[in-house]
Amino acid sequence: MDWPERGAVPQGPDSAFPAGEDRVKDESLPIIQIRNCLLVSIQTELHDRLALGLQESLMERVRSADAKGVILDVSAVEVIDSYITRILNDIGKSVRFMGAECYIVGIRPAVAMTLIEMGVELDSVHTALNLDLALEKLELLQS
Amino acid sequence: MKTVETEVGAILAGTISAITQRSIFNRLGGLAARPLQQLTTQDRLAIMAELESSVRLFARRNSAELIASCARVLGAAGEPAAGGDGADQGASEKRLAIDQEKDIATARLEAWSEAVRIGLSKFTSVKVATAVSELARNIVFYAGKGVVELRSLRDDRGPSLQIVASDKGPGIEPRKLEEIWAGTYKSQRGMGKGLVAVKKLVDDFHLDTGPGRGTTVTCLFRGER
Repeated sequence: MDWPERGAVPQGPDSAFPAGEDRVKDESLPIIQIRNCLLVSIQTELHDRLALGLQESLMERVRSADAKGVILDVSAVEVIDSYITRILNDIGKSVRFMGAECYIVGIRPAVAMTLIEMGVELDSVHTALNLDLALEKLELLQS
Repeated sequence: MKTVETEVGAILAGTISAITQRSIFNRLGGLAARPLQQLTTQDRLAIMAELESSVRLFARRNSAELIASCARVLGAAGEPAAGGDGADQGASEKRLAIDQEKDIATARLEAWSEAVRIGLSKFTSVKVATAVSELARNIVFYAGKGVVELRSLRDDRGPSLQIVASDKGPGIEPRKLEEIWAGTYKSQRGMGKGLVAVKKLVDDFHLDTGPGRGTTVTCLFRGER
């Protein structure tokens, strides 16, 4: 099965994929649905409130969309510290509780090396090099 | 001829549209057309101040990298002409007030551009930004407010960056501190890993804390040997 567009992540209000009610809330990240995967591209500072809101709305959407996978694109995130790691792990865990799998894609090389040196683990999520590969892996899971 | 506009424009090309670049250079006034060799230290500071805010505003990605590249182009070209003006060699210092969550992002961006500016590698600069992020977060979460200072030094061993994060918060009790280093401590927010992470990242680490004394973390990043 091939996907309509490879590589590029649709972003923002111009996206061909309707983000629906998630965009209406003032400060929330748009959740994009591709088939039965939910995609969030993290482009801003993940602070407390935003992260909790994201976790909550992701779980809602996993349920309503019958999603099998959640993909968080962090390719625009230049620094991931232990706190953000914890948020990502928490999202991974909650998504897993719902029966879906969470993929983090696009971790930059310097970020990955820094995480290793710090000794923090991203153990509640899967990782993939990019969106394409994450979709591929999720597709394998579904068959 | 290499002018501010041609060189900075080359860096911004591809990330910031030509029209937006136009408006940025307009704001620089006469400085935009000035040849790089003729810039004074003051000119460079004025240009960087303007570029830092505009690039951060308009560049959707990699703004810190872009700002750092601009600083390199402007700084490197101006240094020989500046001659006796020692302001750029020796030490420089930046003081960042931390009192709300958004200051964390600002602090790590500043730390990153400072690290790149003084010539630390790209990888080390990300480590610097990560460490500052951890320290600033600790300040916001546990003390409410504090200060992060960035001191860049250059000696015959190369560039280094000292980070001092201090607050007048509750301080850390000795028993809690033991748990933190042992890795058994878990704060309400499930953190308690920030200090351990910073200690692993840096080349030199010093912690001064205690109940009623506040907390001061001093750490150092060295350039590649």
